[in-house]
Amino acid sequence: MSVVVDPYAEVAIRRRFLDGLNPLAKLAGPLPAVVLLVFVRDLVTPLIFLALAYVVILAGARLTRTVGLILGLALPLGVVVFGVGMSVWIDASRIDRSVEIVSIGAWTLYGGALEIGFATSLRLAAIVALALIAGLTTTGPDLVRASVQQLRVPYRVGYTALAAFRFVPRFRHELDIIRQAHRVRGAHGGRFGVVARWWGYVVPLLAGAIRHAERVALAMDARAFGAHPDRTERHLVPFRVRDAVFLGACWAVSAVVLTAPL
Amino acid sequence: MTPLASGAPDAPGAPAPLARVRDLAVRHDGADAATPAGATFEIRPGEVVLLLGPSGSGKSTLALTLNGLIPHAVPAEMEGAVEIAGLDARSTPVSVLSTHVGMVFQDPDAQLVTGTLLDEVAFGPENLRLPVAEVLARSESALRQVGLWERRAENPDRLSGGGRQRLAIACALAMGSPLLVLDEPTANLDPAGIEDVYVALHDLVRHPDGTPRDRAILLIEHNLDAAVALTDRVVVLDAEGRTVADGPVDDVLRGRAEELHAMGVWLPISTLAALRLRRAGWVFERLPLTPDELRTAVTASAGPVTAPRAVAPAAPTGEPVVEVRGLTLRRGRHDVLHDIDLTVRAGEFVAVVGGNGAGKTSLVQAIAGVIPVPRGTVLVGGVDVARTDSRGLSRRIGFVFQNPEHQFIAHTVFDEIAHGLRRQKLPEAEVRARATGVLRRFGLEDKAEQHPFLLSGGQKRRLSVGTALVAGAPVLVLDEPTFGQDRARAEELLRLLRDLQEAGTTIIVVTHDMQLVTEYASRTVVVADGRVRADAATAEVFADEALLRSAGLRLPPLRQALRGVTHPALANAIRLADLPGGAS
Repeated sequence: MSVVVDPYAEVAIRRRFLDGLNPLAKLAGPLPAVVLLVFVRDLVTPLIFLALAYVVILAGARLTRTVGLILGLALPLGVVVFGVGMSVWIDASRIDRSVEIVSIGAWTLYGGALEIGFATSLRLAAIVALALIAGLTTTGPDLVRASVQQLRVPYRVGYTALAAFRFVPRFRHELDIIRQAHRVRGAHGGRFGVVARWWGYVVPLLAGAIRHAERVALAMDARAFGAHPDRTERHLVPFRVRDAVFLGACWAVSAVVLTAPL
Repeated sequence: MTPLASGAPDAPGAPAPLARVRDLAVRHDGADAATPAGATFEIRPGEVVLLLGPSGSGKSTLALTLNGLIPHAVPAEMEGAVEIAGLDARSTPVSVLSTHVGMVFQDPDAQLVTGTLLDEVAFGPENLRLPVAEVLARSESALRQVGLWERRAENPDRLSGGGRQRLAIACALAMGSPLLVLDEPTANLDPAGIEDVYVALHDLVRHPDGTPRDRAILLIEHNLDAAVALTDRVVVLDAEGRTVADGPVDDVLRGRAEELHAMGVWLPISTLAALRLRRAGWVFERLPLTPDELRTAVTASAGPVTAPRAVAPAAPTGEPVVEVRGLTLRRGRHDVLHDIDLTVRAGEFVAVVGGNGAGKTSLVQAIAGVIPVPRGTVLVGGVDVARTDSRGLSRRIGFVFQNPEHQFIAHTVFDEIAHGLRRQKLPEAEVRARATGVLRRFGLEDKAEQHPFLLSGGQKRRLSVGTALVAGAPVLVLDEPTFGQDRARAEELLRLLRDLQEAGTTIIVVTHDMQLVTEYASRTVVVADGRVRADAATAEVFADEALLRSAGLRLPPLRQALRGVTHPALANAIRLADLPGGAS
């Protein structure tokens, strides 16, 4: 049995404040900052947002090993690797060349290049960190419930999407078997080997997928799915005062940081 | 055609039928003929009705009409009448019918929608817009009835096959329907899972003291040995799907067994055994239906004095063709296979059995070089599998996957067969001649230009066997070839394998179906926890019930019936063919 991320796993452990927020508030709060960060060019703004995102996550999310690895290792490492890579790769003729950092033969790394490289990598890191606020603390089913309850997304769409989550590990397993079977038959070769090979996987995979989807649809119909305009919600995901406060605070802080003279 | 046994006018005071089917004919879009063509029967509260019929008689189609999925969700032309609790199923929406008829389908995985057992069971009542308290009450009661309440917070993926099917039953119960329709609920399960489901069903329809409850069940099942003990009434469809018999188990199964058997309807193994013994002169006042009844019957009477059938001499076997030495396979952190030693000789028919996750598929995949193995651990035809390329391997051993579609790579049936020959770099004339020969041998001559995906299920299976053998492999390995198939198709395949074996091919087959194992395999290898637990003649393995149980397996029905029977003609029989009264 391969280990797959379980989109359903119920969280029954101690809840922190982010776990109690409406998923939509967690998505919409950082959204303006995420969008505007794309257009920011300096070093300080992304750094501030990165720091803010870290504070919110560390204060409001359960600190599991995964969270620790992402925040403590993956993200900082990404910033350094990406920042240095960008600095080296950037076209030196179009930047500020007043400060020289390193010189190897005819090649020089300028301070301007480093600044642009790290501004870019920090910007990306800040966007990722802001997205993690919702990403680390929201389950798929809760997001679907909130979308149905607050955004008035038709429940037929939302819950069908949720059921489709289950298809992913199944299809991955099926694809593995098909690849095995084709390898045994010696299906590769020819000039367009790779293309032909993948095309060969598509037909049996689709045939199986359509059959499976039809069966699931019948089983859902048989349990009155979609019969009524709405359905009972056992798990209410309300939009409470604290969600509004979180949303307002996020937007206000974003506005302040983005407009402050730096 | 015999007249219908029932259909008498309602006796005053008898409960109104939950379902009434009259002259039902259904033609699927694109199909030539209607199957069923004229089904008529009723189901009353508290009844367990078993619906039988030869393969292709439209049993599953009929099931889908009962809650309106046909014609509301599946396009089909429908004639006759289906009435559910007095409602016309054709004009009543599925959501209303779903509160009268709960459905359980064959594939447990295709019935799961949510992430926990509790959410899954609550899904139906939620769709009915019931108040939360009612949803929870129904969910708890349904989960308790199938013994899964304690596991309500778990992800359904963590349940065994039998557990998931019990969950599907709970989901149907939570709809509050007095009638449950189960369509081949155990076809995808291993023996332990089948037992699991039937224990749950038994508790649903009988009080602990054995008296019936009010719940009615319509059961479509090929595994009659498990089903018949629950059944009150049997409805039989003929090949076109017309009701030809409808009555209590005793009248239909016991009284008309020979007739049904001739029609191609599957009967319990115990009944088939009794029919055979009857021809040898045994007298059965009541034809036995279950292993227990058969045992009681043959123990009570002395039976005619027949000499035990001469034990067929073991098929002459030749040189070892497969040799496994000290094979250990790791996946991730744990051993999938542990220190396996196994030798298969030319001409043998070997069954590899074991519970789910025992490692039997990994073992045969390692033998056939489907998954990589350490050097020097697997020899096939004298060459090391780990050092042979797939072209060389395909001349020595052929592998057939569970789903034949997975291994089709060409656009016509002919090219599918020819592919294996072209890989051997044979001249095109020889490719054509040999491929045509293989097509003829597997009865696919007239399908040569068709796309493999458009073949029928049985034809696809034959084609996959053909592609595995075409390069001249003397050894054929099959992974669960009968999984999810009806009995007729499974038998057809097994007969094909026996023919191949008689023509000299060595057969290794992985399966869950214990009766098929005993009928066909000369040798059985039991795998449990990645180790070979037993490896001996089939008769010897199936004489040891404790061993089978500990490996997650069960005795096949015939062996179960004859356990402890001392009559010399029966004591050691494990196959129907071992019983006196043969040549049928």
